[in-house]
Amino acid sequence: MAPTPIDPITLEILWSRLVAIVDEAAAAFVRTAFSSLVQEANDYAVVLTDSAGRSLAQSSLSIPSFLGTLPRTVRHLLKIFPLESLRPGDVLLTNIPWMGTGHLPDVNMVVPVFRRGRAIAFAAVTSHMPDIGGRMWNAGNRELYEEGLQIPPLKLMDAGKANDTAIAFLRQNVRVPDQMMGDLWGQLTCCHTLSEGVHKMIIDTGVDFDLFGAELRRRSEAAMRAAIRALADGAYATRFECDVGLPEPIVIACKVIVRGGALHIDYTGTTGQLPCSVNSVTSYTYAYSCYGVKSLLSPEVPNNDGSTRPITIFAPEGTVLNPRYPAACSTCGLAGHLLPPAIMRALAPALPGRVLAAPGSPQCSFMVTGEKNARPFAMLNFVSGGMGAGPVQDGPSPMSFPSNLANTPIELIETATPLRVLERSKRRGTGGRGRRRGGDGQRLAFTLTGPSPAVVSFLMSRRRRAAPGLLGGGPGGQGRLRINGRDVDSARHWPLAPGDTVLIETPAGGGYGHRRRARRAAEEP
Amino acid sequence: MRAGPGARNKGAGGARSREVTIGGAVSLGQRWVEDMATNKGRRIRIAVDIGGTFTDGVAEETPGNRIWVAKRLTTPEDPGIATAEVTVELLHQIAAPQEDARAAERVVEVVHGTTLVTNTIIERNGAKCGLVVTKGTRDVVDIRREVRYDLYDLNLKLPDPVVPTRHRFEIDERMDAQGGELKALNEAEVKKALAALKKQGVEAIAICLLHAYVNDAHEKRIKELLRDQLPGMYVSISSEVAREIREYERMSTTTLNTYVQPLMSRYLAELEGRMRAIKVGAPLRIMVSSGGFTSSAAAAEVPISLLESGPAGGVLSAVNTALEAGISDVLAFDMGGTTAKACVSTGGEPAVAHSFEAGRVHRFKKGSGLPVLIPSIDLIEIGAGGGSIAHISQLGLLNVGPQSSGAVPGPACYAQGGKDATVTDADLILGFLDAENFLGGEMKLDTGLAEKALDRLAKRLKMGPTEVAWGISNLVNENMAAAARVHIAEKGLDPRKFTMVATGGAGPVHVVEVASKLQIKHVLCTIAAGAGSCLGLLAAPARVDRSFSKVELLQEVNWNEVKSVLDALYREANTELSAAGARGERINWTIGVEVRYAGQGNTVQVVLPYRNIEPALGKTLVAKFEERYAQLYGQTVPGGTPQVVTWRLTGRSAVKSRGFKWAVDRWSGKGSTRPIARRRMFLPGKGDYGVVPVYERYALPPGTRLKGPCVLQERESTVVVPRPAAVEILKDLTVAVELR
Repeated sequence: MAPTPIDPITLEILWSRLVAIVDEAAAAFVRTAFSSLVQEANDYAVVLTDSAGRSLAQSSLSIPSFLGTLPRTVRHLLKIFPLESLRPGDVLLTNIPWMGTGHLPDVNMVVPVFRRGRAIAFAAVTSHMPDIGGRMWNAGNRELYEEGLQIPPLKLMDAGKANDTAIAFLRQNVRVPDQMMGDLWGQLTCCHTLSEGVHKMIIDTGVDFDLFGAELRRRSEAAMRAAIRALADGAYATRFECDVGLPEPIVIACKVIVRGGALHIDYTGTTGQLPCSVNSVTSYTYAYSCYGVKSLLSPEVPNNDGSTRPITIFAPEGTVLNPRYPAACSTCGLAGHLLPPAIMRALAPALPGRVLAAPGSPQCSFMVTGEKNARPFAMLNFVSGGMGAGPVQDGPSPMSFPSNLANTPIELIETATPLRVLERSKRRGTGGRGRRRGGDGQRLAFTLTGPSPAVVSFLMSRRRRAAPGLLGGGPGGQGRLRINGRDVDSARHWPLAPGDTVLIETPAGGGYGHRRRARRAAEEP
Repeated sequence: MRAGPGARNKGAGGARSREVTIGGAVSLGQRWVEDMATNKGRRIRIAVDIGGTFTDGVAEETPGNRIWVAKRLTTPEDPGIATAEVTVELLHQIAAPQEDARAAERVVEVVHGTTLVTNTIIERNGAKCGLVVTKGTRDVVDIRREVRYDLYDLNLKLPDPVVPTRHRFEIDERMDAQGGELKALNEAEVKKALAALKKQGVEAIAICLLHAYVNDAHEKRIKELLRDQLPGMYVSISSEVAREIREYERMSTTTLNTYVQPLMSRYLAELEGRMRAIKVGAPLRIMVSSGGFTSSAAAAEVPISLLESGPAGGVLSAVNTALEAGISDVLAFDMGGTTAKACVSTGGEPAVAHSFEAGRVHRFKKGSGLPVLIPSIDLIEIGAGGGSIAHISQLGLLNVGPQSSGAVPGPACYAQGGKDATVTDADLILGFLDAENFLGGEMKLDTGLAEKALDRLAKRLKMGPTEVAWGISNLVNENMAAAARVHIAEKGLDPRKFTMVATGGAGPVHVVEVASKLQIKHVLCTIAAGAGSCLGLLAAPARVDRSFSKVELLQEVNWNEVKSVLDALYREANTELSAAGARGERINWTIGVEVRYAGQGNTVQVVLPYRNIEPALGKTLVAKFEERYAQLYGQTVPGGTPQVVTWRLTGRSAVKSRGFKWAVDRWSGKGSTRPIARRRMFLPGKGDYGVVPVYERYALPPGTRLKGPCVLQERESTVVVPRPAAVEILKDLTVAVELR
């Protein structure tokens, strides 16, 4: 083995320092962001990569998928804007799903960090914009072109000079241009803060980023391989189904092959690419697969290129997990959120003491646009279902999983929109039965108050097929969507007239283990 | 509980003693003396702080600012016992030499700080309480915000709401977001719910209705009905406890207030009785989380505001020490056995945050507790203390904390069976601590056991034991510096402009290295950390906070309405301040306005003097907001529209620093500036050991100047200066270190 270039104490000190720098930048962004999704729902991520686009450190409080996609975004942009062509003050931007996070509303910004005339690192941030134009967020979209503005890889700023043409285009194509630009300036503040932190760190510690990154990756990879080796070698397969508001359910065929400290996931047999927005591009498929593996095997190992190197993923092109451009993909979570539960289901025989039953997800949500006091508004709200039960405890209810998106307080919804919330409650008794109970689903009812009409769209899952239980546990209760008391199709958008009432019931989580066995155990002295 | 050597340093068992004046310190309290000079006779103020292990007391006599201290083990089954005993002991100390049997009558004020509220929530032994809410919102406290505070923990533990479902009742009533009544209160339904709660045997009832932060009429009416129907029942309404937007957070705060209210009301009433019994008729003031004190009656109404009462006293003490040295921008730094705390204070005022968490399931994980919307001294707490355990992570890297060896078994060198290497073990091996002089020599440390523990780690890391010892110390310093750095940056401030003030048993040992990492040049080490919180209580100003939320574009603010609400809050707050004894003093009234660009989620606080609430104020507000925004984030938002979310009214008596005159048994009075020994100590700048002089801290007279590297030993701690620095003993025996 080659001599260790950085000792295990120095490395830890540098790493703690770096995480604090990234968190400091994330804090600057969160507090300036306009999108309530960033503020209330942590729908953002900040990552620092090395000059090759390999992740060094990431913000602590972010949703899991972005942490997997953002370093890839940097590498995609580097292919278009080669390292040597970049200048201080350049700001790169894109939202193309295949390069970015998987759907258009997330705009990715990448800023090179220069030191002595050389780009030594990249500050990267992505966040969900308040609006990206196009048709409303909903599963019924057929092509990417309907889903909003595509921002091809471009320089928002070129050597410090703002690209006014690009900005004019951006502003013209979204519903709330001031809010969007506010979030972009917030992203820029974040990248500058990160960049300054890196400079200070280099001055203080003299760290060589390339050496530092290499050593961190080497150790993370070794830890992940050790965690994989703890599993018995073999192939673990499952088939996992879910309805997400489409005529047919999505089928995830998932075969996890564990061999010699490596883990390969093959999604061959999964539903083909669909003419609607649920398609999950490869980077999103990859990110959620890694999240599932990591939360099961090695929660403590930092998320970086080293820890994901032993994990390989294959999804055949033309499937819902690897669609071809320009497939619609704005609601990619409807497929991507199925991956961690599918992986857990597959690995249940190998890891019965860790896995959770299926949750009441993919994440349900609704978006409303219209006018309030003669001003346009657009608001997206998440409504979680129950979490699946596990060997240790009942599933929490309700709780966002595998995503991590917060609800918006009723009082904020009613301040920002003409909606009035009638009820936000737990659907008691809907969690799957078993030795441990699944988490209950949630009921949210609201009505539109006058005078203007509005438009609402939904993401709904598991209205027909319940979240299955695991290892003998029962299924969770199914979801429901009604407008004025009638079941409606969630894959289209609906005009609302003042007085119309919407009822969303999210699905509950599956139960874990046989109930009878539990009772017998309880009766024993 | 704050048990263990960890929590706060309460080790000053020998501090119960005589009062003596230190030469040269007389003039320090002159300003205060002058304030008090109009009053006849010598007045006594008493501060008592209940901690997890000890109940500390300090009495101060004015004019003269002389101090007596006393200490008792806390009496958890009835905390008032120790409080009263400490008070009696203090009075005895004052009275005995002067043969003054009437000392109790000279007491003009008793200031009290306590961790009872925090402990009640952590230990979950509060009242059985009920909750009355708007129809459709009964489950809000269960649903919370639906996020996981740890992404990768598949068995996430969540704190249970303090009101179980069966004690929650929904009422058909409704306000809109502007405060308009959409549905009148169904009083018959209210009466039915109250009757049911009574039957269930609840002791206290919380009321939290949607949009009550903008219109509290229904909440107030329910309170009236409750008073009629259930006399004697404790009641909290959200518009009085936390008049702020966001129903979950407000409901959580209101229910927690209810949960601790019966206990605290009884405790405070009994305490007043106990004070009368020992002939102390002076009013009882209570330290609140915001760093001010309030009347005992107001504290009994909103006891949740006492959540951070103890730590607030500690911060105020640090601020007071700095003010006495003429310094107003401070990073208060406390490091004990389990945790380190830090708090930024500018212009002599500690930063105050308006949301907080109580009863965390994981002490150091943000989001794992119950949210509380109360003004609270904004301190960060991380798992870094003398007892923090060093271990090897999955990556094979050295990690320190947040797990702590606690009081038992404690660090390996305590020789109580602890096998893990801790920060204290590393500090011992590095020569920062003296095995023979820990806790004044009462407790011998075992260097051999510390070496053994470190060797085990060193072998696994394939590194030398010195490297590992320094690694542990350096790593814990880095963790503290990193947390402080984020904390300071969030406020848009530059750490280099601050002076660090160290308290706690491990604070003075680590402060110089942490300061060096933060590029802070000035460090102060206060006297006798053991009674630190009490000194803070004595220095605390009277303070009152009120707020209300109404979300409006700044250009559309209804100034008449804002004026009338603020005026009403002012009258109420002024009454409370008078009750808290601030009658004669000049009160500084300010409004803190939470402003954001319309569409943003978080706000920036703009502080203005409270006067002339009129449309012209709008312009000032915009200008101030943009100035503050640019300071925090480097730029304003082009085209953004400022929007007001919350108005906060604060009344605070003037900040006065107190020059306390310390008991002489802390200073040997011999006036020797010679080192008592020399010892081997690790010098980070050199990367190796060197021999440094060791001084007896309280043998050094005021004005002494020394050069670092050096060590100043004292009973409760050790001031470690491992770098070149100028060290000076200030008039009040505070140690000032100036780094090169």
